[in-house]
Amino acid sequence: MALLGDFGTSWTKLLNTGSEEPRVLPTKDAHDITADIATGHNARRRAPRHVNELIALAQGGERLIGEEEFLLLDVGSRDVKYVRLRRGELVDMDWTTTCGALTGFTLELLGRYYGLDYDAVEPSKKSVSVTCGVLGMEQLFELVSQGVPESEAVARFARGIAMNAYRFIGQPKTFYLSGGMCENRLFQHSFPEKVEVRPLGRFVLLEGLMVELTRATRAGTAG
Amino acid sequence: MSERKRRIGFVGCPPEEELAARRSQDLVDLDNLVEGVEPRSESVLPRTTCRIIRRILDNALALDLDEVLIDEGYGKCDAARGLAEVLEELVDVPVVRTQNENREGAGTPISDSNLPLRRKMELILDDLAKPERLDLTPEPDPPAAIWGVPAADFAIYDLFPDGTQVLGWTRCLENRTPADWRLEMSVPHDAPTVFFAQTFCPKNVVASHLARRHGGLHVDVDGVMSQPVRAKIEAFLHFKKVRGRVR
Repeated sequence: MALLGDFGTSWTKLLNTGSEEPRVLPTKDAHDITADIATGHNARRRAPRHVNELIALAQGGERLIGEEEFLLLDVGSRDVKYVRLRRGELVDMDWTTTCGALTGFTLELLGRYYGLDYDAVEPSKKSVSVTCGVLGMEQLFELVSQGVPESEAVARFARGIAMNAYRFIGQPKTFYLSGGMCENRLFQHSFPEKVEVRPLGRFVLLEGLMVELTRATRAGTAG
Repeated sequence: MSERKRRIGFVGCPPEEELAARRSQDLVDLDNLVEGVEPRSESVLPRTTCRIIRRILDNALALDLDEVLIDEGYGKCDAARGLAEVLEELVDVPVVRTQNENREGAGTPISDSNLPLRRKMELILDDLAKPERLDLTPEPDPPAAIWGVPAADFAIYDLFPDGTQVLGWTRCLENRTPADWRLEMSVPHDAPTVFFAQTFCPKNVVASHLARRHGGLHVDVDGVMSQPVRAKIEAFLHFKKVRGRVR
């Protein structure tokens, strides 16, 4: 039995391999938790064994997706990253914290500020240019001041994030989506219309750590 | 009483005869990190200036120099040439402008040795001010390669295994041929290669192009290496199954 942890900027995802369900808690409430194997922004201080996020993402994707080739985009609260693998070989990857910075975090913040239920907000076909969370928010407030309903302005913001992320991954026809934003229905439906988005949930990196755990167990170095 | 040594700052890779004539003095490579120097260039240079150009100006303003020797030939960028103008205005010492068009290679034994990558970079840079005869062992089968210019943050070099080959402008620097474009563009084998340039450096165009051509990874860093850049390099080396001792 081992504790696997994905210590993100805003949210920490934990999986006790002895229990069935992973759990999520705010990272600010997870300061005293240490795991056996960790990944994520705050991982180096949280476990004796650390796996970098891109490797965990790729390994998790391989474990969950039974296809020869796939592109997996992860949108978290702070950053956007992706991997594209073909028969287990890396084809392409990238990770940005500058363009698209804090976009997920800002969307969460806006939802709370305006009291929005993202399951009920209608996606918009219009978007604002979201080069980063802060600049995007400036435009959003401008729209609201012009009389655009708050939910529509936020929907355009979500569309802006989605379009940014979509261009970042090279505009494929199909891709898998993971990370915290994966559970945001508005965001999921803000990508271009004919693009097939396949959500994988927010625990893909933990799946990647399972691969690492298996490897460590075989080598006799787990725990 | 011995005469005080003049402190001479140099930029880039000036011609060997210019450096040799000054090696009895206190030669300081202004491209390199000098501990304790306060950043003052921000008030002078645009925000889109690369970290090395900023560092050169910071060093030149702080180090109480007697002379600045600058290579502003084909091997340097417009920013360096512009910096010569800025230095002449701001630093009240002679600025000696040189153009290093040397094509006679001094060799690249450090770049091709089996040493840890960080040590290679230190030796290549130190060799300009204080050349040393080194007893080096070549690495016949480099596990990886790094192309580009010297990084502002040497932590990037700790991500690579020992014996990683040095390519690009840094290789030209060791060879004392900073304007040798053919050597700079040369990527001699298929070892997994990271193509590095400073953020805002025009060399990013070439770095990105070569990365595509050779199936490598292009990264740019502005000063301190970020977690995403670190992760990208680690993941790239991991997926390319690069083995070897990483420090």
